Amino acid sequence: MSAPRPAIEAAGLGRDYGSTRALESLDLLVARGALVGLLGPNGAGKTTTMLLLATLLRPSRGTARVFGHDLVADRSAIRRCLGLVFQEPCIDGLLTVEENLLFAARLAELPKRDALKAVDDALERTRLVERASQLGRQLSGGWRRLADIARATVHRPALLILDEPTVGLDPEHRDRMWTLLDDERRARGTTIVFSTHYLTEAEACDYVVLLARGALVADGNPAALKATVGNDVAEIEGPDAARLLESARGAGAVRTVVRTERGYRIGMSGPREPLTALAAALPGVSRFAFRPPTLEDVYFERTRRDA
Amino acid sequence: MRVVTPVYGIVARDLGRSLRQKGRLFGGLARSFMWLLLVGTGYNAITRIEGAASYQAFVYPGIVVMAALFGAMLTAISTVYDREFGMLRLMLACPAGTMAVLTGRALSATLVGIVQGGAVLLCGPLLLDLTAGQLAAAAAVLAVAAASSSLLGLLVAAPLRSVENFAAVVNVVLFPLLFVSGALYPTARMPLWLRGAARLNPVTYQVDLMRVALGLPGELGVVPSLLTLAITSLVVFGLAAWLFDPEHRFIRRGAP
Repeated sequence: MSAPRPAIEAAGLGRDYGSTRALESLDLLVARGALVGLLGPNGAGKTTTMLLLATLLRPSRGTARVFGHDLVADRSAIRRCLGLVFQEPCIDGLLTVEENLLFAARLAELPKRDALKAVDDALERTRLVERASQLGRQLSGGWRRLADIARATVHRPALLILDEPTVGLDPEHRDRMWTLLDDERRARGTTIVFSTHYLTEAEACDYVVLLARGALVADGNPAALKATVGNDVAEIEGPDAARLLESARGAGAVRTVVRTERGYRIGMSGPREPLTALAAALPGVSRFAFRPPTLEDVYFERTRRDA
Repeated sequence: MRVVTPVYGIVARDLGRSLRQKGRLFGGLARSFMWLLLVGTGYNAITRIEGAASYQAFVYPGIVVMAALFGAMLTAISTVYDREFGMLRLMLACPAGTMAVLTGRALSATLVGIVQGGAVLLCGPLLLDLTAGQLAAAAAVLAVAAASSSLLGLLVAAPLRSVENFAAVVNVVLFPLLFVSGALYPTARMPLWLRGAARLNPVTYQVDLMRVALGLPGELGVVPSLLTLAITSLVVFGLAAWLFDPEHRFIRRGAP
């Protein structure tokens, strides 16, 4: 028996809007059950990538397969295993939560009995039972988003695509949302692709795709990406920050440099002591601190370097 | 026939929404009765139409069609709300695709049009001497008129991006469709250019069919009117499907 196809295989996937090249050429291989974060500044091509994978757009070039189904030729098959969450919750304010879920189940072509059961399951799973008969417009922003997740998962899709799902959520609802998605992954092996501007959310990903101006600028698991910055990041500020940077460069310890408003973030390889000694000798260095690299360092380094 | 389920889902949702918007529902009914009672009674005193017992009797078929036109078109045009709040994109991403979404929306808009036109039609025996056969024929025409209007509504909604344009559409599209249809005055007495415009207006054929169904003289003939409505509806549905395709929308609008 052959191994199951990956969740997503894309080769040279690209999209233009008239003369604007929104997505250059994306190669992507996403394993089933993976948690994938799409990162990048506004206009990087994240939403275009997601709309392409959701079959709401046709590619201008390249090919892609979702669970082995061709993105252009087998759109219906892909849509059957797809759950979508957009930036704004898609919950009809004039329908109750239960009616919203039933509507989603019918859109997913579930037969009547299956649809009713799926709605009950989704309400249970997302702890929305008590709010089942509330109108969508009566829900707070946080509960609307949770109802939206219930809506997107009511038919238990194998692939969930979420476009900035945590925008505007308080920490409590954000946590609840991620718990729901984690449960979905654990219970069903659901593949999740999401975009976010909150880089800490991407730390838990199996795979991170960093886009800038429509092109892939980095991809890999978060640990590997952070390792490209160095083993430490030194944050330096003050009038002598540039001199310290030059000295560090001379010592050959600098791997990456990001200019900030007040100084530099330097990705370091090698021991900390030489740079600490250099900083101590420069009175114009007002702030000097080491910390482990984060995805934010990768983000700034890759997106600014290519600017 | 998996496609039936999403179509049914869309119809059930739209009707559920309509029932919760009672103000809109009653407002639609009130509009028709206001035209019939207030405008109709007023014009009765100053206008005589050839071949009709009174202006009210003349205008009655047009008011039935108007009720269906406004009910169906406004429901269909409310698709723009779904677009603004992201529901349309969600629907268009369903496995059944754009055609199923438009079919569902057209069906629900048709049903709303039938309910609103039907309420006016039920009052017909108070104004005209109607047989059961004429009422049945009028009900059939009402269904045709509501279906045709719902498709027109979808076509109007297709290029709209924002609910802010909604009121303008009522003034710029719905009222001209009604005024240049022979619903309120005979097209035969219109200036030539307006008569030409009336011939291009699908509502003219709906009104004419309704007149014939209710035993009043028509101008255009039943078969040509039915054929015209069938052809325009097919063309309008095709155009709407093309315009609603997300692909087409993004080509026109640029990057999301």
